[in-house]
Amino acid sequence: MTDQEKDPVVHSSLSWHLVIWSVLLVLSMGWALWDEVYGIRPWKGYQTRFVTLYRNFLKTVQPAEAETEKKIKASSEYQRLDREMLAAEKSVAQRVGEIDREVNQTLVPRQLTLNDAFQIVRSEIGALTYQTEVASSEGGKQSLRKEIDDIKKRVAAVRLPNADGSTASQDYTYGQMEKDLDTWKSRKAQLLQQRVALLKPAAELRAQRDKYLSDRIADVSTETLAGIERTLDTFETGIRQIHIKDVDLVDRCESCHLGTREPVVLTKAAMGGEAVYTSHPRLELLEVHDPERFGCTPCHGGNGVATSSITKGHGRHKYWLWPMHYRENFEAGCQQCHSGEIVTEMADTLNAGRELFRLRGCMGCHRYEGFDREPEELTSVHQEIRQLQTQKAEWEREAGFSIQKADRVSDNAEAQRLYAHADNLKVRSSGVDAKIEQLDMRARNLIQEIKKVGPSLKEVRMKLRKEWLPVWVENPNHWRPGTKMPTFRLDQDEVRAISAFIWQSGLTGKAVQHPQGNAERGREAFETRGCMACHSMGEGDQKQGGTFAANLSRVGEKVNYNYLVRWIHNPRERTLPYDPIEKRDLTEEDYKKQGLPFVFDEEHSRSPYGNHELVVQQMTPMPSLRLSIEESRDIATYLMTRKQDNAAYAEAAYLDDPALKARGQFLVRHYGCAGCHEIAGLEEEQRIGTELTKEGSKPLERLDFALLGHDAHGEGWYNHKGFFENKLKDPAVYDKGKEKESKLERLKMPNFNLSKQEVDAVTTFLLGSVESTLPARYHFKPTDQRQDIAEGWWVVRKYNCMGCHQMRVGQSTVFMTLPRYQDPDWKEQVPPILIGEGARVDPDWLMRFLKNPAMHESTVDRNGVRQYLKARMPTFHFSDGELRKLVRFFEALSAQAQPYIAQSLEPLSESERLMARQLFSSEGAPCLKCHATGDPGHDRIATAPNFLLAKERLKPGWTRRWMIDPAMMAPGTAMPSGLFQRDGERWIFAGPTPPNFRTYTKDHVDLLVRYMFQFTPEELGRLRASAGSGAGR
Amino acid sequence: MDLHQLWTIISTPDNVPIVMLLFVVPFYSWYALRQAFANDRLIEQLEADPAMAKTHHRKVQPYRPEWSREVHVWPFLLRIEFLAAIIVTVILVVWSITLNAPLEEPANPTLTMNPSKAPWYFLGLQEMLVYFDPWMAGVVMPSLIIGGLMVIPYIDANPLGNGYYTFKQRKYSILTFLFGFIVLWTSMIVIGTLIRGPGWMWFWPGMTWDHNRLVFEVNRDLPDIFGIKSGIMKSLFGGFVVTLYAIACGIGVHKLITRTPFNRKIYGRMSLVQYITMQVFMITMIALPVKIILKLLFRIKYVWITPWFNI
Repeated sequence: MTDQEKDPVVHSSLSWHLVIWSVLLVLSMGWALWDEVYGIRPWKGYQTRFVTLYRNFLKTVQPAEAETEKKIKASSEYQRLDREMLAAEKSVAQRVGEIDREVNQTLVPRQLTLNDAFQIVRSEIGALTYQTEVASSEGGKQSLRKEIDDIKKRVAAVRLPNADGSTASQDYTYGQMEKDLDTWKSRKAQLLQQRVALLKPAAELRAQRDKYLSDRIADVSTETLAGIERTLDTFETGIRQIHIKDVDLVDRCESCHLGTREPVVLTKAAMGGEAVYTSHPRLELLEVHDPERFGCTPCHGGNGVATSSITKGHGRHKYWLWPMHYRENFEAGCQQCHSGEIVTEMADTLNAGRELFRLRGCMGCHRYEGFDREPEELTSVHQEIRQLQTQKAEWEREAGFSIQKADRVSDNAEAQRLYAHADNLKVRSSGVDAKIEQLDMRARNLIQEIKKVGPSLKEVRMKLRKEWLPVWVENPNHWRPGTKMPTFRLDQDEVRAISAFIWQSGLTGKAVQHPQGNAERGREAFETRGCMACHSMGEGDQKQGGTFAANLSRVGEKVNYNYLVRWIHNPRERTLPYDPIEKRDLTEEDYKKQGLPFVFDEEHSRSPYGNHELVVQQMTPMPSLRLSIEESRDIATYLMTRKQDNAAYAEAAYLDDPALKARGQFLVRHYGCAGCHEIAGLEEEQRIGTELTKEGSKPLERLDFALLGHDAHGEGWYNHKGFFENKLKDPAVYDKGKEKESKLERLKMPNFNLSKQEVDAVTTFLLGSVESTLPARYHFKPTDQRQDIAEGWWVVRKYNCMGCHQMRVGQSTVFMTLPRYQDPDWKEQVPPILIGEGARVDPDWLMRFLKNPAMHESTVDRNGVRQYLKARMPTFHFSDGELRKLVRFFEALSAQAQPYIAQSLEPLSESERLMARQLFSSEGAPCLKCHATGDPGHDRIATAPNFLLAKERLKPGWTRRWMIDPAMMAPGTAMPSGLFQRDGERWIFAGPTPPNFRTYTKDHVDLLVRYMFQFTPEELGRLRASAGSGAGR
Repeated sequence: MDLHQLWTIISTPDNVPIVMLLFVVPFYSWYALRQAFANDRLIEQLEADPAMAKTHHRKVQPYRPEWSREVHVWPFLLRIEFLAAIIVTVILVVWSITLNAPLEEPANPTLTMNPSKAPWYFLGLQEMLVYFDPWMAGVVMPSLIIGGLMVIPYIDANPLGNGYYTFKQRKYSILTFLFGFIVLWTSMIVIGTLIRGPGWMWFWPGMTWDHNRLVFEVNRDLPDIFGIKSGIMKSLFGGFVVTLYAIACGIGVHKLITRTPFNRKIYGRMSLVQYITMQVFMITMIALPVKIILKLLFRIKYVWITPWFNI
C-alpha cells in the first residue's frame, strides 16, 4: 500500500507534532517557573548585586579605617588606658575566677538537680490542694489534707553533684528542699553582685578606652565594618518591608534600595555606579521622620507594595494615582503634612514655591488654606460678634421674664429658683461682653493685617503719570523685566478701557508741594537706610538689592514727585479711610455730618457711622523708615532721576473718557484685578480662580488638558506635574486650538513670566497640595513651641525680615550681598544677626521695640538700640496679634520658657559697684570705646549699644554667656572674645585687673552682669567721668 | 490615522481576546464550512449512485473501501485531543506570562471613567443598550437569548446532520446560527470593544479617542416623525407598527422555511408549539438588526413607547 492508500486516521503519525509541542510545553513551563521566581521578582537580582558591590566597597574602605585605628591605638594615651584596663582586670582575676567556679560548678548544677525533684513534689501537692478546694464533703477534704501532709513528710533521696563531678546522695523532705534552694539562690545572687563590683573599675576603664577611640574616628570603626560584613555573610534574600499597621501602609522600597539606612554612607560611585543602592541623601531627615513610623511613600509617593518592576514600584503607571515625585519636585511630599507652614526646614524648593505663591499674588485669585486668611477670618469674626450679641439679648430678655415670673409665684422655693436663674443668665451675658471685646480687638488686628500684593489703585491720579498707565497695563514685564505683576492677554481696546477705569476711579487728594531735595544725599540714603533690602536698582546684570518689592530703575518715568515724597515719608498714609460696612471711602463730609473732626489714624480708627473699625492705613507691607521729611525729599529726588533717557509715552487723553469707564470696570472685575489691588468700588470682590488647597489630588480627569490631552498622552506628560508645569510656563496653553466665541471666554490666568526654577518650585508646592491619605496625627500640628515658630514665619515672610536680618544659620540677607557691605569698614553697618535673639532679649522689651523701634515717643528719626547703624529698623505698624506672634517666634526659636520670668539678681554692694566701674573703664577692658554712652560726640563712632538698655533689654544668663565667648554666638562680631578665663569654678578677667580685685573671690562675669543690670543713668555719668579720667591718666 | 491610538486599543491586555476573535472566528467558520461542502458533494455522489451508497460506510471524505468501517477512540481520537490539549496549554501559559490582567486605579465614586466598559464578553450586551431601553436590552433580551439557546434541541425537527459537517442538509439552522452568533453577537462585541470610545461614541479604527469630541445627533421616536403627540396614541401607534413588523417578519420566516421541498418536509414534521416557539425567537432576533439599522441610519430611538416599556 502506498502512503496515499493508507487510512490517515489510522496510519498518520503524530509523533513529531507531539514531540515538538511537548518540548514547547516543557519550555513554557520552565519559562513560567523562571518568571515566577525571578521575572516578576526583580528585587532578588538587586539583592544579590547589592551584597557583591557592598562587600567590594567595604574592602576598599577597611584598610583606610584600619590604618586610622591603628594610629590611634598606637598613641600613648590609648596604650595607657589599655594597660590600666588590663591591670585592673588582672588584679581581680583570681577572685573573679573563684566566684565563677563556685557559681558555675557547684551552685548552678546543684540548684538544677534539686529543683527537678522539688518541682515534682510541688506539683503533686498543688494538684491535691486543688482537689481539697473543690471536694464537696468535709470528710473528703480531711483525708486529702492528710495525704498532703504525708507527702510533705515523705523523704526522697536526691543525687547532688559535687564540684569535682562526683555525685553524692542526700535525703530530703519537701521543706528541706525549699530551704536549700532558697539558700543557694541568695548565695548565687550575692556572689554575682560581688563579681560586678570587682569588675566595675575595669569595665569603666574599658568604656573610657573605647570612647577615646570612637571620639577620634569620624566615620565608622573597623568593628562596625566587620559587623556589616557579618550581616552580609548571613544576608537573606527576601522582601524588606516596612509595615505600619494602623495606617495600612506597606512599603517594600528597601527590597531594592538596600543602602538607604546603612551605617556607612554609600554613594553611587562607591556602589559601582548604581544609584539604587545609595544612602538616603539627607539622613538627618530620617531622624525626624523615622522610616519605621513614616514609611517611604507618604513622603516620596510611588507604589510601596509593588515589587514586580521599577515602573510599578515608582508608581509611574497610569493607574497609580500617586506617582513618585520627580527629583525637581521631591519636596512636594513635605507639603502633605506641613501644609500649615510657610517655611519648612530643609525644604527650600517647597518654601520657594510657597513664597512665590504668596509674593506673586497667586492667592489674589486662588484661595489656598492658610494664605491671605485675614479677610476670611475677619468675616467670620464679624459673624461671631453678631451671633454673640443676639445671644446676649436673648439671655437678657429671658432674665427679665424670669424675674417677672418670680415676682408672681407664691411658692418661695420656686421664686428663689427663678431669681437664681435670672442671676445666672445675667452673669453669663456679662461674660459674653468679654468675649465680644476680644473678638472686636481681633477684628481690629485683622483689618490692620490685611495686605495687598499690589499697590492701591485709588492713588493713581496722585501718584502716576497719566501716559504711563496704559503702557504698564499692556505688558508690565516689558516695561520692568521681572516685575511681580503678570502679563494679561489684553488687546488695545481692553488696555484702554482698563486704564481709563483705573484712572477715573482714582481719588484726588490734596497735593502738598515739596521742594526738590539733594539727589546725591538721596542716593546715599537709599543705599544705606535699608531700602535695598526689599527694592532693587539697576537692570540686567547691574541689578542689585532685594526682590521682595519692585525694581526702581525706571521709577522716575512713572511717578509724581510730590506723591513719592509722601510715600517715602510714610507709606501707610491713606488719603481717605475705607469703611468696610458702608463699603466706601469716607470723606471729610462724612465726618462733618456726624460732627466729628476729620482725623483717622491708628488711634482714631472707628467709623463715624457706628462703632466699627475703618481701614486707616494703606494695605502695603512697606514699613515706615521714620525718615525726616528732608531725607524723604532727598530720596524722592534721587528716585526721580532713575529713568531711561529716551523714554517716550504716547498721549493718553482717552483716560478721561467717561464712555470707557463701564467697560473698564467690567474688565477689571473679569480679570480679578482686585485680588491684588485695592480698587475703588471693588474692595469686596471675591477671588475669581479655583481653590488650590487640594489641587494636587484633584482627579486627573478634572484637569482640563483641552485639546492637548492627546499630545500629553503621547509625550508622556499626562499627569499633574505636566499639567501644572505647562500651565505655569504659559497659562494660555490650554486654549491652544480652541474656538472661543469671545475673548472673555478664554482662560483668564495671566502670564507670570516664571523661570524654569520658579515653575519647578510652584509645581512642587501644588503637587504637594493634596488630600492627605495619612491619619491626622501624622500631620505637623505641633502644640508646643514649634507651633509658635511655624506661625512666626508667616509674619517674618510677610514683612521680609530676612532682607536685613539673618534669622537662622546659613541664611543670607540682601545686605550681605550688596557690594558696599563687602568693604570691611561697612561690615559693622550690616543689621544685627537675630540667631538666638529669643535667648538674648527680654520678651517685654522686644514687644515694645517692635512696636516702636525708635524707643522714643517724640524723636523718632533714629534707631532705638543701634544708633550707629545707618540702616534703619523700620516701624512696621504690626498688629497686636503679629507682635505677639513675632515675640513668641523668637522665644521659641531659642527654646525659651514662656511667659518669661526675669531672674532676680543679687544686689551690688557699694564696693562691688566701685570694682565693676573700675574694670569697665580699665585699659584691659575699654568697654566704652565701642558701647554708646549717650554722649553725641562719642556715639558718632560708637558701634555697640548703650549699657543703659541692658537692664530692660537683655536676659542676664545670655549676657553672661555673651561676655565669656561672643565669637561663638555671633561669628565675626566686633565684641572681643577671651576677655575672661577660667579659674577653678569661676571666671576671672583675663587682662590686668584693678588692685582691689585681688581679694575678690566671686565670679567676675557675674559681677559685671549684676553691674549692668543695676545700671542707672547716674551710674553712667560716674562711669563716663571715671573713664574720662582713666583715659587722661 | 492615529496609529498610537490604534495600538493602544489593540494592545490592551483586555482587548487581546477580541483581536483574536476577529481572526479566529472567521477562520473556523470557513474551515467548518469547507468540510461541510466537501461532505455535501459526497452526499450528492451517493445519492446519484445507489450502488456506491450501499458499500460506502463513511460519511466523511476522504474514503477508500478497504479502510476499516470504524476506528477506536483510543488511540485514534484521544491522541489528537491530547495534542490539542498540549497546544492550548502552551498558548495559555505563554499568554498568562506575557499579558497581565490590568488592575486599574481604586474606584472613585465621584468620578466615572469614560468610556466605562463592561468585561469584553458583556460588551455585546452593553452595545445593545444603545438600541433598546435598559429593561429590554438588560433583562428581556438576555433572558430570551438564554431561553432561545435552550429550546434549540426541542424545536429542531431535522434528523439529518448528526456527527458530520454538512451545509446542504441543515442550511436553515446553520444560516440562523451564523447570523445570530457572528453577525449579531460577535460583531457587537467587536464594536463595543474597538469602535466605541469616550462618550460611547462611534470611532472608526484609527480615529483619535478624543474626550473633547462632540457630535450632533438628535434621536427621535418613530411616532414623533408622524407627528403623534399624545401618549395613548403613541402606544397604540407603536403597538400597531410592532405588530405589523411581527406579522411581516413571521411571513418572511415562514416563506424562508418552506422554500425548498426538503424544508417543507421538515416543516411538516414540526408541531404547532415547535413552530410558534421558533417564530417568536426568530422575530425577536431579527428585531435586533432592524432596530440597529433604524437607530444608526435613521436616528430612531424607539418605535413603541408605553409607560411600562419601550421598544
